[in-house]
Amino acid sequence: MTEQNIIQLRQIEKRFGKVVAVSKFDLDLRAGEFFSLLGPSGCGKTTALRMIAGFQEPTSGKIIIDGQDMDGIPANQRPTNMVFQSYAIFPHLNVGNNVAYGLRGKGISKAEIDTRVAQALEMVELGGLQSRGATELSGGQRQRVALARSLIMRPKVLLLDEPLSALDKKLREQMQFELRHLQQELGITFVMVTHDQYEAMTMSDRIGVMFEGRLVQVDAPPTLYAKPCNNEVASFIGEMNFFPAEVKAEHAESLTITTPCFGTMEIERNPNVATGGRAIEVGIRPEQLEISALEPEGYDATTQGTVRNVAFYGENVHYHVEVDGVKKPIAASVPNYFHTVDYRQGDTVWLGVQSASVIDLGQDQSKS
Amino acid sequence: MTRPSGLAIYAIAYLVFLYLPVLFLPLFSFNDGTIVAFPIKGWTLEWYRQLGGQDALIGALMNSVIVGLLAATLATSMGLFAARAYVRYRFRGKKASEGLVMLPLVIPGIIVASSMLVLFISIGIKPSLTAITLGHTFLALPFAVSILKSAFDDFDPSLEEAAYDLGSGVVETFRRVTLPIVAPGIVASLLVTFTVSFDEFVLAFFLSGSETTLPVYIWSQIRFPAKLPNTLALGSLLLLASVALLVVAEFFRRRSAKSTFGGSK
Ligand SMILES: Nc1ncnc2c1ncn2[C@@H]1O[C@H](COP(=O)(O)OP(=O)(O)O)[C@@H](O)[C@H]1O
Ligand SMILES: [Mg+2]
Repeated sequence: MTEQNIIQLRQIEKRFGKVVAVSKFDLDLRAGEFFSLLGPSGCGKTTALRMIAGFQEPTSGKIIIDGQDMDGIPANQRPTNMVFQSYAIFPHLNVGNNVAYGLRGKGISKAEIDTRVAQALEMVELGGLQSRGATELSGGQRQRVALARSLIMRPKVLLLDEPLSALDKKLREQMQFELRHLQQELGITFVMVTHDQYEAMTMSDRIGVMFEGRLVQVDAPPTLYAKPCNNEVASFIGEMNFFPAEVKAEHAESLTITTPCFGTMEIERNPNVATGGRAIEVGIRPEQLEISALEPEGYDATTQGTVRNVAFYGENVHYHVEVDGVKKPIAASVPNYFHTVDYRQGDTVWLGVQSASVIDLGQDQSKS
Repeated sequence: MTRPSGLAIYAIAYLVFLYLPVLFLPLFSFNDGTIVAFPIKGWTLEWYRQLGGQDALIGALMNSVIVGLLAATLATSMGLFAARAYVRYRFRGKKASEGLVMLPLVIPGIIVASSMLVLFISIGIKPSLTAITLGHTFLALPFAVSILKSAFDDFDPSLEEAAYDLGSGVVETFRRVTLPIVAPGIVASLLVTFTVSFDEFVLAFFLSGSETTLPVYIWSQIRFPAKLPNTLALGSLLLLASVALLVVAEFFRRRSAKSTFGGSK
């Protein structure tokens, strides 16, 4: 790897009494990347972020930022800045003074502070709002002020705790784009905590998925989506149909498996899972399934079933198809081109899949 | 509009019995006669005019102001740290210590007063204005703590963390963020605790040395019928001042609640 690792976390652990909030956490962050910590609520994301910021001491382990061991270095001396979930805008200061907060009392001339404040506000598209009162800001503006206030400090790493969760949907989508743009422009490492998989996927260079205090998988969004390391990650990110499968033969790059409904297939090995033995689990994303009235041609495997449920999403339609030998109905999602697909509940349909779309998820957890 | 009229009558009667006697004070202070009884003989401002010339009274007033200012400052500064700790942290014995701080509100004044007298004498503090100040600080503390606790309740703890994150130390964070944000609460607490001390009689009576505070002085004058109208005039002024202080205090308390954001929703 040619990039320098700006943050190195080595076996970080944090306990609150009996609760283990973060455990055995090893992570290297590259300079200039947009990294997201993704996981369900309560899995320890905030705790991990706060340890990097210096608000919480790890119970054990080492945090190295920009080559320097952070042990004993308090938050106010770390080269990181944080955007808080509540934004933490100082209510008694106007926008300009909020943004200037960290520069004051450091021997920086007033003229320079004013210029830097103006630049920082320009950057977050709040140019000229210096004298606006903090309590007169909308949610989106408060978040921009919080960003400007942190970025003006020129941190090596910007930490963001669920920065978009308080915004409504439209604004959230716009800010996702802007944050990503800002990060690329500045080249600063961003570490964002979120429980929203779409947010993490659209914004990040890499995502770290957390469950119950453990970092389970770290990968770029497309890899995470295509090669999740287990059932947990696969079901947390996007939608997935799960099938038990039996390994008939193992090859260097592939496995020959049989599944209850799709018969025998040769699928790619997943480099992210440990070798799973004979009883494994495989996954198929709903959008990788073809659905048609007649048996589809040119597919590696097909099966027949009955439509149980139709859900219309606008841009696509989800069909839940009941197939003999499979416990849960199989979800298949079809793009809504010109309303050409239209099956009703009770219709008999065919499902087709290519073996390249069948994901090896390793040992079947439900059988062990 | 029909209302349960029984309740309304009860409420009105309640307010009348509660506040009517208080209103007699200003009424008779304008009465042109030394006997406090109806009918009013005529209207005069004489009693108010005479107040200026009474040195002992002015002295007692000054004592009360000094004791009040000191007790208010002491109680508010102690209350500030206590309130922040109570709102922010969980620690062993928190409930017990909060209960202890609030105790002066429920112990009968006479018991507090006599035990303080014994305590102060045993540790070598003679009855004096100092003793009264210490006693009043103790009495005013629960008021300071509860007012300041409500100021900290509305205070997002991540504000202090944000200041710290932006490079401020503990002291600078307190000065630049904590203090300005709870300032209205501090002002409210100063006003209320000052009023508590200014009006207090029992403790001041027990702990007075050669110098005394206004309420004790007034009490000593009430025995002389000729002085009574003066006392009424003074009492009316004090009543007005107390009400004014409490109104201002309430204004600041509400402002402190409003100056923070109403959640992030
Ligand atoms: N200061 C604290 N004291 C005690 N337990 C805490 C504290 N902070 C977090 N926890 C616990 O640690 C776990 C992880 O919390 P958190 O890091 O906030 O999760 P997330 O941000 O992923 O929702 C939770 O079980 C939470 O209750
Ligand atoms: Mg969190």
